Amino acid sequence: MAVSWLSRLAARGPATVFPALGMQGEEAFYQLALHPEIELVDSPRHASLLLVAGGVPPELHEPLRRVHDQLPAPFTTLWYQSEPLLELQQAGVVRVDSLEALPDALVDAHRKVLRGELGVSPRLLVDEPPNPWRGLGDDGHGGEGMMGGVPYGRPMAMPPTQDLRDGLALDTLTFRLGPFFPLWPAGLEAEVILQGDIVQQFSVQSRPFPRAMSPVFFDAWEHAMSIARLERARVQYHLRALFHALHLAGLPDLAWRALRLAEACDRQTITALEKGFKDFERCLKRRGFFALHLPTCGTLNTEHAEALGGFAARAAGIEGDARRDDEGYRRLGFSAISQQAGDTQSRWRQRLAEVAQSLTLAARAQQNDAVTATTGVVETPRGVWRDERPGDASALLEKLLPGLEWGEALATIASLDVAGVSQWARP
Amino acid sequence: MNTSFFVDVVFILLALFAVYTGWRVFRTDSMVRASFFLLLSFITVGAIMLLLSAMYLGVAMFFMMGVEMMVMALFMVMFMMNPAGLNPMMMVHQHKLSIGAGIASFVILAAMALLSRFPVQPLPAGLEPVSSLGNELLGDSMLIFESAGVVLLATMIGVVVLSSQRGRFGSAQEGSMPPGLEPGGEPAGMPEEDSGAGGHHHGH
Amino acid sequence: MILDQLIWPLLLVFATLGGGVYLLAVLDGLAARSFGLPQAQSVWLLPLSRGAWLLSQQANVTEAPDWWGWRLAPALYLTLAAIGLALVPWSRDWVATDITTSLVLWGSVEALATVVIFLQGWSANTHLALIGAYRYVALGLSYILISMFVLIGVTLPAESLALTQVVASQQELWNVLRQPLGLPLFLIVGLSITFRGPFNLADSTDLAGGTSVEVSGPQRLVWEFARSAMLVAFSGIATTAFLGGWLGPWLPGPLWVMLKMLAVLAILAWLGRWFARITPERCISLMWLALLPLSFIDLIWAGVEALL
Repeated sequence: MAVSWLSRLAARGPATVFPALGMQGEEAFYQLALHPEIELVDSPRHASLLLVAGGVPPELHEPLRRVHDQLPAPFTTLWYQSEPLLELQQAGVVRVDSLEALPDALVDAHRKVLRGELGVSPRLLVDEPPNPWRGLGDDGHGGEGMMGGVPYGRPMAMPPTQDLRDGLALDTLTFRLGPFFPLWPAGLEAEVILQGDIVQQFSVQSRPFPRAMSPVFFDAWEHAMSIARLERARVQYHLRALFHALHLAGLPDLAWRALRLAEACDRQTITALEKGFKDFERCLKRRGFFALHLPTCGTLNTEHAEALGGFAARAAGIEGDARRDDEGYRRLGFSAISQQAGDTQSRWRQRLAEVAQSLTLAARAQQNDAVTATTGVVETPRGVWRDERPGDASALLEKLLPGLEWGEALATIASLDVAGVSQWARP
Repeated sequence: MNTSFFVDVVFILLALFAVYTGWRVFRTDSMVRASFFLLLSFITVGAIMLLLSAMYLGVAMFFMMGVEMMVMALFMVMFMMNPAGLNPMMMVHQHKLSIGAGIASFVILAAMALLSRFPVQPLPAGLEPVSSLGNELLGDSMLIFESAGVVLLATMIGVVVLSSQRGRFGSAQEGSMPPGLEPGGEPAGMPEEDSGAGGHHHGH
Repeated sequence: MILDQLIWPLLLVFATLGGGVYLLAVLDGLAARSFGLPQAQSVWLLPLSRGAWLLSQQANVTEAPDWWGWRLAPALYLTLAAIGLALVPWSRDWVATDITTSLVLWGSVEALATVVIFLQGWSANTHLALIGAYRYVALGLSYILISMFVLIGVTLPAESLALTQVVASQQELWNVLRQPLGLPLFLIVGLSITFRGPFNLADSTDLAGGTSVEVSGPQRLVWEFARSAMLVAFSGIATTAFLGGWLGPWLPGPLWVMLKMLAVLAILAWLGRWFARITPERCISLMWLALLPLSFIDLIWAGVEALL
């Protein structure tokens, strides 16, 4: 009796979902983040529902199984626009393919799971440690130093290891952080070597999935496009990236506001958007986003900045913008903005300044019904698209992140956009 | 000695727990666990001091040992070549000798505690432990404590300076050599060529 | 007499632990709503349904944790918070733990809390939890120093280390007015020691939950409960040391203590939600270059005032 009363109380709470994003799964993620009854969590241990959004390529099925087995019972899985794993198809998992039905399906699954209507949660992997725990020799004394072999599958920290800072050289901690880590681009898998909490080495094992951009940019490459629509799409892109950075900064209410502004980009009038954005930017500064959280590290040198292009290059002082060569923009009085220092803080200042600039341009363009003059070259928010779409830049992280503290490293990854642009537009 | 029965029972339990956790320091297989067992042992001793009416010293024991053992455990994680200090490792050597020495010293100290006659000095009525301790620290024993404090501070600063990689003449990585007496000459005041610091060695 | 000396104060401590934690969760929800974040339920029901949900979840296992340390760490943290709250005097005669060195015991509660938080992160035997644990310990020493200097400043007018005497010394003037630097510094330290809001470097989002990344189910419930309980204990000590404890007209002593604690908790909940999380570099600079000198100034101020 008491158990059912407790589970009824629990079922009324928010549905805790761990989003494992596959290819093109971000759209569902942003819709769910706005829903008040769904809570997207950062660790699979904190969730009751596993949402696999977007297709997961076969080489990532093993990490997906490991993530699946980390959820605590009782739990269930939902698959959005993704083929469920073979082992799970017999268990009768829910597959939803329409975005409107997804939030209700999640809330419904949460209630069913807590009321115990879904039976035993299946486990996919064997419950055995994957690496032997004993070292070599008796008491693990054989081999190197005081322990032998690779107990628990962890490489030993052998001295001398060069530490990048003052003081005694700390031991190294090596681990892999997988493709479904929610705090960096989906699909990025990296082997990280830390000393203390400073990153010593960051090697990318698997690149992030290419991101789908708004179809407006694809159309603008082919024919003339209304500048107002183009700039609105640009604003939406930057605000969605800001959501991730604000979530990382521990400001969930500002993150939600950024995402709401992003969703309103298509519908609201430009004046309302401008006013909303100005209030929002003032709030950002007052709450210490720049002063407290964003580090002044992660500086791009000239060669990297030029290779990356887009707002990151402009933040490093390289004034290249394909919109300068466009007659339509020139008539609206466009001039490229740039910052001097190429670090994380200046990249965010640059992005916020570009959003404000885009809103002004869109307001002016709307009055004159201006359109772009050139085709075959588009300044996407990610970089310039001339003959090829902007590609993946995750190799840059291997050179940029060593020497950064862990939180600063994640903030730097959030300030860049390392995923390439997918060949398909967002539906 | 007219202590109450309850205090006796508590004392015996605390003493047994202190000895048990002290033994576990050597039998456990992880350095971090060893530090925390030592912490438990010290906390129990602090509780015994509270039973002896040493109000300040007992509570200060909790305070100091908490931070000390925490720093020791952190050093284990940082420097012990044992990722996270959780991999099983055997940390004692010369088992027979150390067990013998441990038992012998325990027997000697226990004999001293149980068989010697302590003087009968009941606490004066109206003793204020904190103010009498303060008067002692800043009165008769001020020189000892103040000089000890300054020496500790000098040691701490010295440790930070010694572990800095910036030598007086540049980074320690590049040898930190002083400039020559003539431009481009030999480094001034340096002895003859000495071999570089030993490279790869497995320390204990 | 046993009723007065033992039963009532202990009942008050337990009631404040339970009620205080619930009210802190409600205040946190109210703060979130005032900033515009929509809540899934009413703020009064949300803590209860989250608690019920955590109870219904399984407490998971990792590959080879330190079982004793991992399972016991939340309970130990809760015990430390209860010990801290037991030091608060509810009225002239009602104190659960009345020893002459209660402020030193509070200091040892803060120091042992560092140990327990490290134990929670390290025992899980996973990398993100370990990073959260030692990041907290690396910064924890700074917080403890500042809190101790500020509390020593409070003992000078009282001429005693006992919290009952500290309250008695505030009959004419509360310490928040007599030593104006004390309460703001103590509140900042409170946020740091319970790693909340801008100082949340132990359970932070950039570690996907830090020390609690692998914790689920009832263990997580006790951990979150213990974190809030520590903040409640902190507000109890802040009320006693700076806001005059049970002193106040018309209402009985315990009610004044609870009202003042509620006010401090509301301020802390709001501050916890307002600021972004600070980076460790800036935190160390802030603590050692700004707040520690300020606490020295506070101590000198208190000393000069005691001499005059």
